[in-house]
Amino acid sequence: MKTTHLSAWEHEECILGQATPEMLGHLTECAPCRAEIGRLEHGVALYRKAAMEWSSECLATRPQQPHMAGRRGLPAVALRWAIAAAVLLVLALLPFHVGSPRPVQRTAEISDDVLLQQVDEQVSVAVPASMESLTHLVSTESGSGAGAVTSAPGGKHIVQTN
Amino acid sequence: MEALEQLIHAGQLSPVRHRMAAELEDVNTLCSTYRSRIYRYALLSLRDPDLAESVTQDCFLKAYKARNEFRGDCSVATWLTRIATNLIRDATRSRKFQFWKAANSTAVDAGAIADRLRSPGLSPETFLMIKEELRQLWDTVATLPGQQRSVFLLRFVEEMEVLEIATAMGLHVGTVKSHLHRALTAVRKAMEGTK
Repeated sequence: MKTTHLSAWEHEECILGQATPEMLGHLTECAPCRAEIGRLEHGVALYRKAAMEWSSECLATRPQQPHMAGRRGLPAVALRWAIAAAVLLVLALLPFHVGSPRPVQRTAEISDDVLLQQVDEQVSVAVPASMESLTHLVSTESGSGAGAVTSAPGGKHIVQTN
Repeated sequence: MEALEQLIHAGQLSPVRHRMAAELEDVNTLCSTYRSRIYRYALLSLRDPDLAESVTQDCFLKAYKARNEFRGDCSVATWLTRIATNLIRDATRSRKFQFWKAANSTAVDAGAIADRLRSPGLSPETFLMIKEELRQLWDTVATLPGQQRSVFLLRFVEEMEVLEIATAMGLHVGTVKSHLHRALTAVRKAMEGTK
């Protein structure tokens, strides 16, 4: 057993768990050396406690899990196969889509029919709308003249001249 | 995983190593197991919560990407600590970090840490002494050279063995011990200042 006090280096060895049996034997007998080691250990423990508390506080304010969850997701190979299958499906359905009648076209045909019908009605009228006022003029003069005024279907007057 | 199973069947990977490799495959479990530890190490080394978070995420990302390179000759924790050590070193070398380090006073940091301390049952005088002691310690550890500080943190906060620290930091055992002695000498001097 050492009779003189342990050196600072030996105190540190004790804290690091590297104490020799001789050092340990001295410590059982020497209160000042035990107190010195205890003081150093207390300082280290104090630092550790504060460090743990600070770290826990900082960690508590952050999201629980880093943004790594999505990284595993689908394996790259599976993803490639899924994209390839989707492309093939689209290509396979494309001819059916192109060959099918389009509702837009049908609507256009209907509107064309209505327009033609309206044109027919306009054409079938003997006196155009812009000349209707003239028919009244003719009818007032018809009493003295040779022309006769007859009523056309739809209330239109037709002037018949000889 | 298939590659791992092939290696096991070929006798190239022991079950223990396989367990470690499987641990690296599940990144979510890996994060939940080691995140607080890696974050704490980064936080105490850099003293910047945002930068520490960034280093922690980079550490797990790097570990996941390099999982096939893990040979299993150390624990997953030690391997992650090694990656974190390299990332912390890179971060402290950046010009941005150097600028903010110069701009911020560590004394403010130490004061805030000491103020957080709670010691119920102590007299106000004793509590003040302890707070002053902690402030001194905090500043002392902050001003330790990079490797000395890392070694100190890994030994006394993370409670790693000297051999593990040597593996994590890529140093010889003797060098780790030397760093620890120097760091403890600095701590002792700081504590003598508060007597």
